[in-house]
Amino acid sequence: MVAPFFKAHCTHCHGSTESKGEITLHNLGGDLIAGQEIERWESILEMLESVEMPPEDEPQPNEVARQAVEKWIEAGLRDYIENASQMATAPTARRLTNFEYQNTMRDLLGFELNLIQNLPEDPVMPYKFNNTAQFMLMGMEQLDRYKENARRAMASVIVDAAMPEIHKTRREWEPRGGNPTVIMFDEIGGRRGSPGDGMGLKSWPKTGEFKIRIKTAAILPQGIEEVPLYVVMGSNINENSSTLRTEPIGTASVRSNVDHPEIIEFRGRIENYPARARSAKGKVSYAMTITPQNIYDDGRLNDHLKPLARPRLVVKWIEFEAPVFEQWPPKHHTDILFESPLRETDPGAYVKAVLERFMTRAFRRPVRDEEIENYTNIYKIVALDFPTIEEAMRETLAMVLISPDFMYHTVAKEDGVNRHYEVASQLSYFLWGSMPDQELIDLAKAEKLDDAKVIDQQVRRLLQDKRSGDFVANFTRQWLSIAKMKQVKINSQLYPRFLYYVSAGERAGTETPYRPTIRDDMMEESVGFVAELIKRNAPVLNVVDSDFAYLNQRLAVHYGVEGVRGHELRPVAIKPEHHLGGLLTHGSVLIGNSTGSAPHPIYRAVWLREAILGDEVKPPPAEVPALSDSAGESADHALSIKELLAKHRQSESCNVCHVRLDPWGIPFERYNAIGKYQAMVPKDGTRVRGVGNNRYQILESLEEYKAYLKEINTETVQADARVPHGPEVDGLQELKKHLLENRQDDIAENMVRRLLSYGIGRELTYRDRYGVEALLEQSKKNEYKLQDMIIAICQSKIFVGK
Amino acid sequence: MNRKSWHLNRREMLAGAGVALALPFLDSMAWAKGAATKAMPKRMVVSYFSYGAYMPNGGNGIQNMKQPHHDWSWWPCKEAGELTFNQNSAPFKPFKDQVSYLEGLDHEGGWSLGGHSSGDVFATGADMKESEKTNNISIDQAAAKVMGHHTRYASLVMGSEGGTGSYGGTKTLSHYGPGRPIPSMHNPQDIFNRLFKPYAGKSIEQVRAELKREKSVLDLIMGQSKSLNNRLSQADKAKMEEYLESIRALEKRVDRTTAWTQRPLPQVDATDFNLDVSYKDPQEYLRCMYDLMFIALQTDSTRFATFQTESENSSQSELWNFATYALGYKGATHDIAHKRPADYSGQWDQWRNKQHAYFLQRLKDAKEGDGNMLDNTVVLWGCGHPHASHSTKNYPIQLAGGNKLGFKHGKLHKFIGDNKVPLSNLFVSMLNAVDVPTEKFADSTGEMKELRG
Repeated sequence: MVAPFFKAHCTHCHGSTESKGEITLHNLGGDLIAGQEIERWESILEMLESVEMPPEDEPQPNEVARQAVEKWIEAGLRDYIENASQMATAPTARRLTNFEYQNTMRDLLGFELNLIQNLPEDPVMPYKFNNTAQFMLMGMEQLDRYKENARRAMASVIVDAAMPEIHKTRREWEPRGGNPTVIMFDEIGGRRGSPGDGMGLKSWPKTGEFKIRIKTAAILPQGIEEVPLYVVMGSNINENSSTLRTEPIGTASVRSNVDHPEIIEFRGRIENYPARARSAKGKVSYAMTITPQNIYDDGRLNDHLKPLARPRLVVKWIEFEAPVFEQWPPKHHTDILFESPLRETDPGAYVKAVLERFMTRAFRRPVRDEEIENYTNIYKIVALDFPTIEEAMRETLAMVLISPDFMYHTVAKEDGVNRHYEVASQLSYFLWGSMPDQELIDLAKAEKLDDAKVIDQQVRRLLQDKRSGDFVANFTRQWLSIAKMKQVKINSQLYPRFLYYVSAGERAGTETPYRPTIRDDMMEESVGFVAELIKRNAPVLNVVDSDFAYLNQRLAVHYGVEGVRGHELRPVAIKPEHHLGGLLTHGSVLIGNSTGSAPHPIYRAVWLREAILGDEVKPPPAEVPALSDSAGESADHALSIKELLAKHRQSESCNVCHVRLDPWGIPFERYNAIGKYQAMVPKDGTRVRGVGNNRYQILESLEEYKAYLKEINTETVQADARVPHGPEVDGLQELKKHLLENRQDDIAENMVRRLLSYGIGRELTYRDRYGVEALLEQSKKNEYKLQDMIIAICQSKIFVGK
Repeated sequence: MNRKSWHLNRREMLAGAGVALALPFLDSMAWAKGAATKAMPKRMVVSYFSYGAYMPNGGNGIQNMKQPHHDWSWWPCKEAGELTFNQNSAPFKPFKDQVSYLEGLDHEGGWSLGGHSSGDVFATGADMKESEKTNNISIDQAAAKVMGHHTRYASLVMGSEGGTGSYGGTKTLSHYGPGRPIPSMHNPQDIFNRLFKPYAGKSIEQVRAELKREKSVLDLIMGQSKSLNNRLSQADKAKMEEYLESIRALEKRVDRTTAWTQRPLPQVDATDFNLDVSYKDPQEYLRCMYDLMFIALQTDSTRFATFQTESENSSQSELWNFATYALGYKGATHDIAHKRPADYSGQWDQWRNKQHAYFLQRLKDAKEGDGNMLDNTVVLWGCGHPHASHSTKNYPIQLAGGNKLGFKHGKLHKFIGDNKVPLSNLFVSMLNAVDVPTEKFADSTGEMKELRG
């Protein structure tokens, strides 16, 4: 039955003479139990189930035959997997990813130190997670850098006994100027010497927590309630140099008026801020500057509004103080080198006790005596060179932090108790990207982490903790592969109001650095949207369409949603005329998959199939010329992209794949390169005039510009395509409708697979097929609710059982 | 910053570098009489550029003989034989007798990699499709393994973006072996410190004491790790072997560093470099990196170096905009490879060629024995793609220098059709030229007699 089916429908394309998609089936063995070609069989099954093969223009098998063959493969697969469960599995020991390392160090030390800047980046694989053992490699250079890091961290966390010198700087500004028609001297954006120039620090310590206080007020035009104050520290950003580095300190919304200024306080660790090195006559000196900025943005960037017409920020004074502490030595120190009479009476026992306490936390499990013994020996060697216990302990504990027990997720066999500690770590690294807290450790100790009810309750607790934000951000960025959107070069002639450009001087026309842009908001939009779905326990299908968007004022203006005020992102109810909903309309997705000038339907098609439908789209094979190479011209001018694609498909080698790919991207065409809905575009070759071409021209209203755009946008964008094996759709809304009606299971399965793969730190294989199937069925009965799905995953055999 | 004065500074320093620097191998002065050429260090450099090159007459990397030669093609001339130079290759005109162009070479093991990914195997030739999916040892490391002990650093690995990158998007050319890419260094200040200020202001005695302690501590960590290893499953053990090997390598390096504390460090002054140069000034950046490489070779701190001047898939870094900063190109640098605009593609190649020619000139200007450093340094320059950015065959390849290592230059060679040989054959010749006896490297089928008989 099976062989004739293949002969009739498959092997004339995938056979000995022709091998489309580099797939040959004529030599496939029929005995699945042998297991040699099990992955091939699984992909055949998927092709049949999704009705993707045979292609539409080939004779189709009758439904009975198709189902019979599916059943036959299915049965063979199931037999094989049941029999094969004893076989060797992929490695589960993997080092902490940079993300996990950073968070673990934070929770272990009690404060945030930026420790990954000097580490090699973890690999980035589009649509894949970078926490799989396969890619978490280790080499000498890397280990060496972990060692440097560990020493740096220990230098910060363990302090010297002597009380440190306190460093302070304060600067005040007076409202001189007096003329009500100009910005005053105590306002950001005032003339030279105003707060926008920042405050240089007189001195600062090498390590420790700092406190920055700013007395500030807002001057607000009517109808505006707040203005965001954004503070950075590092180089002086007003310097005319391209090697400046700063790190953000924080953002605050200022609402107080000038008569009642408010005091805003920021805290941070001085180690995380880059001092500016300068060398003169062979001597190197360092400078550090705190700079407050007004980052109000209502979408009228680059419009050269009169400064007085915008919301303004007054800064009365800035104060810097470091280190600040409640007690000396600080808590993070006494958590390690705790107070104890032993320190005097039996230093040897004290050292052991300190090591045991620290190692237990660092290893995320109880430590054995011989392990403590080993580090005690290291301490003894180190102590010969270091006179104080503080110094010797810094070096010894740094060595704990390069041991494999700290740096790797390990799964020791045979040990029953350890199994619970492993589950504790698995849960916390999945949902926090960090080490387990005391409650999880206590549950592990009590051996309660094999109880589904306990897991349920713990997952909910972990997801409520703010650390789960790290998980959602890390997961979402990789799953949707949106990091690239920040580097797409936006055509500023076509989109003059999208980014904030330097208006004058040497760097005129370039993007203003050192402040968050709307692209940062768009990343937050996608992450925040997914976090909101989890929080609401909303059905997974919301990723395709939803009745809310996650916006702040700047984003709302961009997307054309009215009535959203302020800098904070939040869920906002939307209407059909906004053309929003789900992830498909997010700027992060649309910009990341555009050219910066035009939409890119192929990128967007690949994105949809990979990120949402869970298909694996093969990259173009070697020696296939790129789109623009074959279609002439550049994608910049390719406004009628549909025709270009048609041309592309004329070539047989391209057509094989693109006929199944392009239709998914065309319906996105009405979302332009900056992710805005735009149904009409200018004629090909039209040069779009920006708003602020004339620096001295001040537009009181934008009506004139809007009218101009309306006048040049004369061409309707075509966004109609016929979905493979599906209906004709015109535009994204119809595509979404089609997906929600016909692809529910695929969308949900994709989500289960992504979460599971991220959670267990490996790619799924055919072995996981039935585990995934069970999760999916369970979820389906529950309307595919997202938080419940995560809980079910954490309770599943694949997650906890090995 | 006052860039002009720095320029002068660097020029002066480099012009007089032969005398200004205390070179370890200057001590004997034996070679100065031109007698003992054998005592000269034999060096190898591999340098990479990204996204292919402009080849309007033959996008698959093989020149179309029916069309006239294009003045902006990456290939300097059309016919095999004596080199003539066009606009694109003009920066190499002064090196006519020190360069060769090789058409039709590539690594078959990288054919199946994606269109921006064959840089992974450029220096390794690994069979990424079949047996060596996690890559394999690179040519510089093969040399460093055998000859690296002669210098303070076995090799120098540089890349504009730094780190290792990942499968299909490498940011380093160098690999110790399967699954062990060596992170490239990209920050000029870090490179300078690692090369010339390794003791970070400590005295030699302090450094030695620290190294001794470090060694004992590493021994204990090793012991501990082995005991952990015994409790792991078979698959995990293999994974953990990576870690153990890293510890072993660290121990070896401690030994080596200890031994080198017996020898004086070369005196190199940081103020002679523009070490805080920015990516936004790509020319200054690349030249600063090449200067560092040059000084590392000249002071015999190392003899084997790789430099990935650009990485592919660099969409998250400033490298994405190199052509914008350098030439004012409006799109992403990577787009040049796709769109091949006639007014930027050749110019972009030429700009890159200029930077590489700058490095060759540094070597050529440095007298060494009765010749110059370029004579004793073989330099490979190329990319893992031809014109068509999705192709992974027929790389643009140029070989320079090493005239005293047996290389004969001045020609365009074609390895096309029946004459096609693996690029690895060239690697075999390069390794033999630096006294690393090699019969086979990756998929090689012999030596490259055309260049080195």
